[in-house]
Amino acid sequence: MNYFQQFGIEASFDIDLQQLSSSYQTLQKSVHPDKFAHASEQDQRIAVQKSAHINDAYQTLKNPLLRAEYILKERGVDMPNEQHTFGDTSFLMHQMELREMLEDIKHASDIDQALLEAQRVFSSEYLELSQAMRAEIIENTEASNSAACDNLRKLKFYQKLNVEMERLEESLFDD
Amino acid sequence: MAYSEKVLDHYENPRNVGSLDKNDPSVATGMVGAPACGDVMKLQLKISAEGIIEDAKFKTYGCGSAIASSSLVTEWVKGKSIDEAGAIKNTDIAEELALPPVKIHCSILAEDAIKAAIEDYKTKQGK
Repeated sequence: MNYFQQFGIEASFDIDLQQLSSSYQTLQKSVHPDKFAHASEQDQRIAVQKSAHINDAYQTLKNPLLRAEYILKERGVDMPNEQHTFGDTSFLMHQMELREMLEDIKHASDIDQALLEAQRVFSSEYLELSQAMRAEIIENTEASNSAACDNLRKLKFYQKLNVEMERLEESLFDD
Repeated sequence: MAYSEKVLDHYENPRNVGSLDKNDPSVATGMVGAPACGDVMKLQLKISAEGIIEDAKFKTYGCGSAIASSSLVTEWVKGKSIDEAGAIKNTDIAEELALPPVKIHCSILAEDAIKAAIEDYKTKQGK
């Protein structure tokens, strides 16, 4: 049973997050430790394992990038290893510029404005890539799946940019 | 996770940080990235007509191990021929910096950066 079947939802990139969340809660209740308080040690252990599996499945489907990766893997798409070096020079040059943009925010004369501008750039570029990836996943051909993998890898750099952005905001507004 | 002393040394006092003019025909640029952690690494080499690396600069956005790996590489490649530099293995970098298994990919990134720079040099020379 794959993750989608586990939650009784259709296997697609566009999922109803509310349905996922309510299905998750129902499933978690069915394996809650309270229910197994008087069960055998073995049944208790199985319930704990099931709960962990349900949680893994939920975390994967909830996050769009993990969901995309899961769908592509389920299709048997040959994914480059996570650790495999990415060598798209012009994309990486641009990433370098975005990192520099982030780095310069703390020296900006108007920090709030600089932050907003960086957020605007990051999110519009993220949106563009993720819409392309979504269309490629839906198209589901060998070429489109491979293009989706490529965009997924690019999106991970934006995910990292957002983490760095949050870290910067914390450091700027902490004191 | 505790970093080794050598990693900390490179992290706190990185060698050869900066940029060379990428439009200079004797400057080769290697850009590599690791989607898993979002690290981005730029390695630039200034190569003489005899194929000797005269200068090296790097700029890396990443964890301490990625910064240390690229910093170390800039020290190692200076004075070497491009063939000698191309023979540097990630295992040499990992061993020198005592990288733990989870950080081996940082040394792979640095090795790939050298290879990408040499590739760029050959493309530029071929023009």
